[in-house]
Amino acid sequence: MRTGAAAGHPGYFHEAIRYDTDDELLAVVVPFLLGGVEAGEPTFVALGERNAKLVRAAVPTGAAVEFLPGGDVYARPAAAIRSYRQLLAEQVAGGAKQIRIIGEVPEVALGATWDWWARYESAINHAYDDFPLWSMCPYDTRIVPPAVLADVARTHPRFATPDGGHVPSPTWTPPEAFLREHRPAPPDPIQAAPPVVDLRDPSAADARAAVYGADQGRLPVDDLEDLVVAVSEIVTNALRHGRAPVRMRLWAAPDRIVVTVSDAGTGPADPYAGLLPAGNGSPGGLGLWITYQSCNHVSQHHGPDGFTLRLTGGSPYTAR
Amino acid sequence: MTDPMPPHGHLCWSYDDQEVFADEAERHVVAGLAAGARVWFVTPTPAGPVAERLVRLPGFADAVDSGAAALVPLGETYTAGAVVDPPAQVAAYAAATEAALAAGFTGLRVVAEATDMVRTPRQLAAFTRYEHQIDRWMRTGPFAAVCAYDRSALGDATVAALACMHPESNQTEPMFHLYATAPVDGHAALTGELDPSNQELFRDALEWADLRPTDGRLVLQATGLRFLDHRALIALQAYAVRRDATVVLRTSHPTPARLTDLLGLTAIQVETVR
Repeated sequence: MRTGAAAGHPGYFHEAIRYDTDDELLAVVVPFLLGGVEAGEPTFVALGERNAKLVRAAVPTGAAVEFLPGGDVYARPAAAIRSYRQLLAEQVAGGAKQIRIIGEVPEVALGATWDWWARYESAINHAYDDFPLWSMCPYDTRIVPPAVLADVARTHPRFATPDGGHVPSPTWTPPEAFLREHRPAPPDPIQAAPPVVDLRDPSAADARAAVYGADQGRLPVDDLEDLVVAVSEIVTNALRHGRAPVRMRLWAAPDRIVVTVSDAGTGPADPYAGLLPAGNGSPGGLGLWITYQSCNHVSQHHGPDGFTLRLTGGSPYTAR
Repeated sequence: MTDPMPPHGHLCWSYDDQEVFADEAERHVVAGLAAGARVWFVTPTPAGPVAERLVRLPGFADAVDSGAAALVPLGETYTAGAVVDPPAQVAAYAAATEAALAAGFTGLRVVAEATDMVRTPRQLAAFTRYEHQIDRWMRTGPFAAVCAYDRSALGDATVAALACMHPESNQTEPMFHLYATAPVDGHAALTGELDPSNQELFRDALEWADLRPTDGRLVLQATGLRFLDHRALIALQAYAVRRDATVVLRTSHPTPARLTDLLGLTAIQVETVR
């Protein structure tokens, strides 16, 4: 039997917390966690350093609450989905009737890379619905931009409030609708200059060689190799599943490489493309999922001339 | 003159132009004789233009007289037009190499015009298997070969299938090579790049190589592989499962280990050597 507000709910019970003060945050989180402990439900905290410290101090010593390293869990959306699904599957296999998690996307995600975290917040309504999960995602209204708060309201079916309430979000939008909206990321400032690579209909091998050629020691070797994998997959997808012509452009800054791959098509039809491995065998789905696991930011751009995927290796532009 | 034969002693050489092939054959004959090897030019046309060029090489006639060089009709080493019998053909070259050593030569070097052996799909399927078996034998014996194929007669796909079963070739497609290693180094080596452009050929090449696990392990030296994608890893996983083995992939890249973990490919064990 599930306990608390999610009692009787099948699947994922997804809530956001909007808080103005630390006390408001704790007023929601502490009873949530202790309720889980009391019911014998596996109870997890995946918060950034600041809030984790706050919560740790507020729960009794020895309470069966597991603290996960929040920064690692939330490195990339597709990776977060994969590791949470693994965690949830393990808990259910271990007999859990409900799992409680409080988790927040890192502050760095609230800027120019928010687009893929907005997609994450929407997609998990589906991706975690296989599990009896009750989770809360806290957002600090003192630092979160209004546009992000609007997405939070649209991607969470309900809010948990400091007075113990669980209220529906009036602007809640199911993921199949939200994820079909176009959600371009702001341009990276380095894209204002002419690209250092501009290839038309490159082979995957040409594309890989161009990335290696442009690196010149910029990226850590793992980031470079991951970006090469991603570019190879995306150029392959564009050539195979997109519409000609395919154009690959590359910009380089001291700490990052930005690659765009465009074709004249309409992009992937699967709303969850990139965030979930394409179990339904949709064309190019596995390559796109690997790309989302390999880059530090991926954004999708739809325009009158077609579809563009933008990949960032190294440290993405994250300004708010 | 530097020896045109690459270190593994097994070169796939495709050509469109007989004269260009004759130039290459000359270089190998001259280098082989200089190295003290017995040298054979195996050809379906012992009176053809390439053979004529070789015959005119200074010293070639003397080398023929002394038993150091020979023009060998294709039908005497292989059965021209037939489907090759890989073990029998390997045994024949092993015996010829022994004979060369017994006659005081340093080994046997062959330039073989093998186009007639791979004209049909059945011939090709057998010959690609043979190429790996002879390649395996070459790692242990003083036998080296240039396998020459007429691209204009065979087409790019057939030539690519043959090229990938050699340690080296004179062409950029199909971008990868799968070849035998010395037994102490594992079962086979991979070089080049594996991506969607050659994923089907890679699966075929693994079948042709017919690698036999040792103690449940198939060790692949892939440090010469510049790139491999998830398709290649999935192909290796399937190969390992069918052969009831674990593929041990030795690579200098960080991505195969990450992709293998990501995709749950438990029959592949990646050893990253930096």
